[in-house]
Amino acid sequence: MAAETTSPPPADLRDGHTAADAQGAAQGHGSAGTTEAAAHGGESGGLPQFRFEYWGGQIVWLFLIFAVLYVLLAKVFVPKLRRIRDERASTIAAAVAQARSVQAEAESHAAAAQAEIAEARNRSRRVAADAKAKAATDLALSQKAEDARLQAQMDEAEARIRGLRDQAMTNVRGIAVETSQAIVQKLTGQKMTTAEVDAAMTAQGAA
Amino acid sequence: MASPMHQFEIQQVLPLPTVNIPGLGAIDLSINNSVMAMMLAATLVVAFFAVATAKAAVVPGRMQVIGEGVFSYIDDLVAGIIGPEGRKFFPFVFTLFLFILAMNVLGLFLVFTATSQLAVTASLAVMTMLLVIGYGVLRNGANMYKLFVPAGIPWYMLILVTPIEIISFVLRPVTLALRLFGNMLGGHVALKVFAGFVVSLGAMAAGGGLGLLGIPGAALSLGGVVALTALEFLVAFLQAFVFAVLACVYLNDVVNLGHHH
Repeated sequence: MAAETTSPPPADLRDGHTAADAQGAAQGHGSAGTTEAAAHGGESGGLPQFRFEYWGGQIVWLFLIFAVLYVLLAKVFVPKLRRIRDERASTIAAAVAQARSVQAEAESHAAAAQAEIAEARNRSRRVAADAKAKAATDLALSQKAEDARLQAQMDEAEARIRGLRDQAMTNVRGIAVETSQAIVQKLTGQKMTTAEVDAAMTAQGAA
Repeated sequence: MASPMHQFEIQQVLPLPTVNIPGLGAIDLSINNSVMAMMLAATLVVAFFAVATAKAAVVPGRMQVIGEGVFSYIDDLVAGIIGPEGRKFFPFVFTLFLFILAMNVLGLFLVFTATSQLAVTASLAVMTMLLVIGYGVLRNGANMYKLFVPAGIPWYMLILVTPIEIISFVLRPVTLALRLFGNMLGGHVALKVFAGFVVSLGAMAAGGGLGLLGIPGAALSLGGVVALTALEFLVAFLQAFVFAVLACVYLNDVVNLGHHH
């Protein structure tokens, strides 16, 4: 509506509308009718689009403008956009690769630490076992030594008791002989020699 | 009120000499409103990408995100339809999409829509089909006939199928041009008609009396204009997208001739 004041036909709306309908019908019969409608449109002043005196200039300018736009897009903007997209893709890929390698490194670190812990645990277990074994052998040794000492004391004590008993038994015989002599003297008034008594006791089966 | 067709009229902006080309006749190279709209659209596209790629950082700014979004949208489209070989056609499809989108959207903000000119849409369609045919002949040579003779079809079917394929191929530039042209033309005519209703019904209501009945009608028309404008934004994007998709599909036919995927 830029040039409303200069518009040649001051037709009212209804006229314009019906004219539009007629024009629409004239060109609206599909592709086959177009060329005919176009051929007529030139002189009859139907749709402004079919005034062919304006086609040449529009087509030439369209190709010119399209060519310029194509060259600018194809040579400047598309490569620029493609490059930045490739760059972004490679940046992301590199970052992902780096993150992956860092993760792998961290995993290997973790595995090493795990192994270290396991080894330390094994070592401590071994140390504990060694200490336990040493303590056990020490204990066994000292127990044996003590046992041997106690056994020796017991043996010694037993030997002493046996000696004392034997000695006591010999004393008993002497006392018995003396007693027998005294009894015989008291009863008979005669004296018996020690040898006689001894013989008599042996004959009686005394110990 | 001017006619709803008035918006499509070509008006000279800067007169330039007429060139006479033998065989083609006189070509008026004057800059008119259609050429202005095309220039403005192309300038907008270039300006947008100049800003979007100005810093071109690995971590993008806002404009760069939008620019790269459009880029990868069309890139995925081309790669998806044509396959890995489609990369060399990407700049063409990208240019086509952006140029048409810019012209469509500009038409919603300014007074003139370049894509509502059949000269423009037909040129774009013919250019696309010329690229398809040119590349197809260059790449496939005499094998181009396979485009019209699908493999694995018995000969008696070919008698029927081949003419259909040829007709459909010939009609491709026509449909390509008319689809965009028709959508833009129809949308803008409808917008203009509804907007005209608002004004004329409003004028009727200003007269008072029974004319006051025009107020609800005007309000309804205004609502229609708002709704249609929203729809036209969708159409502006959709038609640019459809044009790009069809260009990819047609290119795919000759790039991957004989083995459909």
